[in-house]
Amino acid sequence: MGRYVIRRLLQGLLTLGIVLFLLHYLMALSVQIRGNPAILFFGGDRTPPPAMLAQVEKLYGLDNACYDRPGDPCLVPFVERLQRYASGDLGTTLNGNRDVGDLLAIYIPNTLRLFIFSTLTLVIVAMLLGTWAARHRGGFIDHTVRGTTILIDSVPVFLVLLAYVYLAAVPLTNWARDIWGADTFMGEVFSPSYDPDHPWTTIIIPGIIVGTVGLATLTRLVRASQLENLGSDFVRTAKAKGLPNMRITVVHVVRNSMIPVVTGVGYIFAFALSGAVLTEGIMNIPGMGRMIFQAVQRQEVNLVIVGLTVTAVVVVIVTLIVDLLYAALDPRIRYE
Amino acid sequence: MAENLRIIGDTLPGVDMNAPLLEVEDLRVEFKIRGKRVPAVRGANFSLETGRTLAIVGESGSGKSVTSQAVMGILDSPPGYITGGAVRLHGVDILKQDEDTKRGIRSNHIGMVFQDALSALNPLWSVGFQIGELFRVHRGSSRKDAKKRAGELLDLVGIPDAKNRIGHYPHQFSGGMRQRVMIAMALALEPEILIADEPTTALDVTVQAQIMRLLKEIQEERSMGLILITHDLGVVADVADDVAVMYAGQIMEQASIHDVFKRPANPYTKALLRAIPRVDTLGQELEVIRGLPPNPASLPGGCSFHPRCWAAEEKCSVEEPPWASVAEEHRSRCHFAEEVYRNER
Repeated sequence: MGRYVIRRLLQGLLTLGIVLFLLHYLMALSVQIRGNPAILFFGGDRTPPPAMLAQVEKLYGLDNACYDRPGDPCLVPFVERLQRYASGDLGTTLNGNRDVGDLLAIYIPNTLRLFIFSTLTLVIVAMLLGTWAARHRGGFIDHTVRGTTILIDSVPVFLVLLAYVYLAAVPLTNWARDIWGADTFMGEVFSPSYDPDHPWTTIIIPGIIVGTVGLATLTRLVRASQLENLGSDFVRTAKAKGLPNMRITVVHVVRNSMIPVVTGVGYIFAFALSGAVLTEGIMNIPGMGRMIFQAVQRQEVNLVIVGLTVTAVVVVIVTLIVDLLYAALDPRIRYE
Repeated sequence: MAENLRIIGDTLPGVDMNAPLLEVEDLRVEFKIRGKRVPAVRGANFSLETGRTLAIVGESGSGKSVTSQAVMGILDSPPGYITGGAVRLHGVDILKQDEDTKRGIRSNHIGMVFQDALSALNPLWSVGFQIGELFRVHRGSSRKDAKKRAGELLDLVGIPDAKNRIGHYPHQFSGGMRQRVMIAMALALEPEILIADEPTTALDVTVQAQIMRLLKEIQEERSMGLILITHDLGVVADVADDVAVMYAGQIMEQASIHDVFKRPANPYTKALLRAIPRVDTLGQELEVIRGLPPNPASLPGGCSFHPRCWAAEEKCSVEEPPWASVAEEHRSRCHFAEEVYRNER
């Protein structure tokens, strides 16, 4: 097992190296084609004196001649960038000269909180609905569950978020505050936008809404893989052992159908990272998605690269966790 | 040892200890397939006494496994439904009990061993967990106690080094050892009846003999009733006391094993016996029963065996043969049972 983990970690590092290089190359191309972001330092409208521009370019590592040759992969600045990252220096922003490491310390926890709630919602709801539908295969409950989840999944998540913010949030907040008061959990949870003083409470509802993305897919996955096991010989054995139906489902069906589900959750998780841009934008959550989006708009070369690398790290880690969960779920899978 | 003591009435109310151990009367099972009702078992009758072994023999699709699943109450429903008859255990009709009582009967009174132990055991739980589960669910034992009992059972069915194998998973056992695990599981709560559905079909010949011997030994030790379901008359010859021969959802003949082999009273049984390879027919061509078993959705009129029967006459395609006695404890379903019995046909 240990060797397997190390091998997978090395694979992950290689993936990250490739991601970093591609990002660097894309950014170099953007500088080469769209023009020098150092001009932004002077407000973006005026043409600065060449001497000052050269000084700013030097400050931000944009002084290499390769940035003037379209198509040049700019390997020297790439190596310099890796060296700086390795020594813990993530650089600063062009606008406002803020430390990127400090920004990440603010943004990463918010996105993590959002993802905790959305993943929990997705897994719990899909498991319950999928199990329920599988138990009543072909019946009214089965069709209702499948129809409803498809309906929920068909509505774009930003539409649900907008509908919530503009239609439901304010009346719900007023109603809750009348009953429980403004400073209670219930008074804050329905808030239409993120509140930095209550980072956990005000992120629950957006988390739940993001969690409905991929609900239909995962519910169907749970249902299908449970149906496969419900018809299996060992479930017949479990019935012959006189076990209660609840125990048969929980002990002999759910665990056996978890492998496709775990794969699905990992996949949807990586997919939902891109959905965070919309959610964080609409709910005013200062998280990674919004940060990357704004960084691209403002040509914050360094911030974009660091931000996207962080999401790549998350995807690599989630994939590794999924692989390790396989072995934990199925004793026949051993990575030696 | 107090928890070993068990009063049968606890899990089976209304029990009459003078009644036969198991009586199956006119059991009928139908499958509903795309709105059509297909009969799988058409009135099965048999009984089983304590300490005796009944073999139910038949071709694939004859309804022998469905009969056992119906008795056990584990028929997949839908599509299978019990449409009539009675299954009496110690005189109590278990088909009429509520779900909880039925659940208690399974494994407390009737244990079951399945054909393919690799698929019949859950691949993700250790064998100790799967056996111990019975004690935890039905006896409320603690995890630790259940594990200990599981170890004792594995030892009982002859698994070497049983203590260290409690935590092993089904895929870590060989075919024969896995079948022993299945048997240990079926025996765990000391049932009065063990149903073994083709227990040796998936095993090679030497292991088959070991498993049959093990079943026989345990049966004698505990004086259980054993129902052995098989398609192989040869396998049951030296273990069974009685034989019921099934064809197209009906029992064609029932008698003691000796009578069935020596004086069969049904043309189907006779044909089956001729199809067994024997030392004294070495070199001769083996006889086969021509044709295929009928499709249960469109059974032939009259006797269901008549299209394949060597003794059939016109009457057989029109009239259903009666379930009649030819001698004491020897019944057959054939218009010419007497003549076949006397070897005049």
